[in-house]
Amino acid sequence: MRDVALHLSDTLDHILASIPLFQPEFALIAAFLLSIGATLFTDRLWKQSSFFIAIIGYIISFVSLLPQLHQPASAFFGMLLIDDFSVFARGIILFALLISTIFIQQHFKGKIFQKNLGDVYTVLLTAGLGLNLLTITTNWLLAFIAIETVSISSYILVGYFSEHKKQSEAAMKYVLFGSVCAAVMLYGLSLLYGFTGNLDFVSAAHLQGLTAAPQVMTSIALLFVFTGIGFKLSFVPFHAWAPDVYEGAPTPVTAFLSTVPKVGAIVLLARITQAWASSLFYFGELTILFLTVVAIVTMLAGNLIALRQQNVKRMMAYSSIGHTGFLLMAVLVAPSGNPSILLFYLSGYVLMNLAAFAFIDSLEQKTGATTLESYSGLGKRMPIVFTCFTFIGISLIGLPPTAGFVGKLLVFTSVFEGYQSSGDLPYLLLLITGALTSVISLFYYFKIPLYAFLRDSQSDQNSNMPIRLIIAIGIVLTALVLGIGIFPDFLLGLFK
Amino acid sequence: MITLTHFLVVSACIFCIGLYAVLSKRNAIMILVGIELMINAAVLNLVAFGRYDKVNYGGQVFALFAIVLAAAAVAVGLAIILNVYRKYKTINPDNITDLRD
Repeated sequence: MRDVALHLSDTLDHILASIPLFQPEFALIAAFLLSIGATLFTDRLWKQSSFFIAIIGYIISFVSLLPQLHQPASAFFGMLLIDDFSVFARGIILFALLISTIFIQQHFKGKIFQKNLGDVYTVLLTAGLGLNLLTITTNWLLAFIAIETVSISSYILVGYFSEHKKQSEAAMKYVLFGSVCAAVMLYGLSLLYGFTGNLDFVSAAHLQGLTAAPQVMTSIALLFVFTGIGFKLSFVPFHAWAPDVYEGAPTPVTAFLSTVPKVGAIVLLARITQAWASSLFYFGELTILFLTVVAIVTMLAGNLIALRQQNVKRMMAYSSIGHTGFLLMAVLVAPSGNPSILLFYLSGYVLMNLAAFAFIDSLEQKTGATTLESYSGLGKRMPIVFTCFTFIGISLIGLPPTAGFVGKLLVFTSVFEGYQSSGDLPYLLLLITGALTSVISLFYYFKIPLYAFLRDSQSDQNSNMPIRLIIAIGIVLTALVLGIGIFPDFLLGLFK
Repeated sequence: MITLTHFLVVSACIFCIGLYAVLSKRNAIMILVGIELMINAAVLNLVAFGRYDKVNYGGQVFALFAIVLAAAAVAVGLAIILNVYRKYKTINPDNITDLRD
C-alpha cells in the first residue's frame, strides 16, 4: 500500500513539475474557453470581444513561449518534447495565426451574417492548440490527436460560412478526403503499435520492434501512416483536395490553410525522419527513398499543373503543393545539418503566402477579381499593391533579393553538400528537379504582373483603392520578405 | 480458441469493406459509414494488441481517443453534408462538381 502511495506522489510531482512547460498551450486553452463565453454573452454588447480575446491569447502564448528558448526539456512522461526547434516552429505558427485572425476579421467586417462570426476565432484557437501540440510531441497518440484537432477545426473553418455553393462543396470534399486519410493513418498506427508495443516513435523499443517485424508489413504500415501526414502537407498523391478547397474556401481561410497546418506537419515529419534516418535499419532507407520520390513528384506535379490555371487561388494551391516538395527536400537534408535551414524556409514561405493572400483577398473584395484575366490593367490603378505582389511573386520563384531566394539557396547548398559527401543519385535528382521546377514556376508567377501592367483592361471604372489594414499588413509582410532576403543573417543567427 | 490472428483477420476484413465503401462512392453518407468502419477496424487492432501491453495500456487509451475523435469528425462531416444537400439537392459526390480543373 505504501508502495502505491509513494509511486503516486512521484507521479503527481512529475505532473506538477510539467505544468509550467505547458504554459503556451494553457494560454490558448484559456483563450479558447473565454472566447466561447464571449461569443455567447459579450458579443451582443461589443461585437469584437471574441476577436480581441483571440489576439490577446496568441500574444500571451507567444510571450510564455520565450522562456522555453534554449531550455530543452521533456514533460508528462515523455509525451511532450520541448526543444528550440519546437519553440521556433510554435513562434511561426502563432505569428501566422495572428495574421490569419486579422485577415478574417477584416474580410468579414462589412458583411452581415446569420451566423456568429465569433465562433470562427474560437475554432482558429483550437487549430492553434492542435498545431502547437504537433510540434512538441514524439508520441503517436498525441500526434494523432493533434492532427485530428487541426483537421476538424479546418473542416469547420472551410464549411462554416457556406455563402455560396462552392464553399459547401469544398467543405464536403475536404471532410471526406481528410477523414479517409485519418482513418488510414489510424490503421497504420495500430499496426505500428502492434509491431512495437510502444507509441513513442523515437524510442529504442519502437525502432527495434519495427526492425524485427516482417518487412512487407512494416512498409505497408509506414505507407498508411504517411497517408495521414501527406494529407496535412498535401503532397502527391494526397494533394487532390488542395486546389478545390483553396478555391472554394473564403480567402482568409485559404491563407490559414496554405501556411499554418504545413508548419506543424512538417515539424512532425522532420522529427520522424530525424529519428528513423539516423538508425541503420532498412526502414530508415525506406523512409528516405519514399520522401525523395514524393518530393520529386510533388515539385513536378505542383509546378506543371499550376502553369495552366486561370483562377489565382487555384494557382496558389498548386504553387503551395510545389513548395511542399521543396519543404520535403529541406526535411531530407535536415538530419545531416540542423533544422535552421528548414525553419528559415518555413518562415519565408509563411510570410510570402500570407502576403500573397492579403493581396488576393483585397483585390477580390475591391474589384471582385479572382482570375488572372480579370487582373488586366489593374496595375495602373493600384500600383502599390501590384508592385508588392510582384515582389512576392519573385520571392515565390526564388529570385534575389528575397527571402524565397535565400531559403532555396540554403536548401540547394545543403542538398549539394549531401551529394558531394555521399555521391547518391537521389540527391542529384532532387537538385535537378528543384532547379527545373523553379524555372517553370517563373512562367506562372510572372503572369500576375504581365496581366496587371502590360494588358489593358476592358472596363474603365475608376476606383482608387484606399490603404486598408489588410493591404498595410501585406505591404509590411512584403517588406519583411525583402528585408530577410537582404539580411538573412539576422534570422539564421536567431535559429542557430 | 480465439487468438490474436483472428482479431487481425477480422479487422483487416472490416478495413477492406470500409475502403470499398469509400472508393465506390455513390453517396456521401455511405462514404462516412465506410470511414467509420475503417476507424473501427483500427480500434479493434489497437485493443487486440493492447492486451499484450500490460504496462502502459497504450493501445486501449489510443482506442478510446480514436473513438472520440471519430465521433467528432463524423458530427462535423454530417453537418457539412446536410449543408451540401440544402444547396445541391443531392449528396452524390459525382454530381457535385462545380470545383474542378
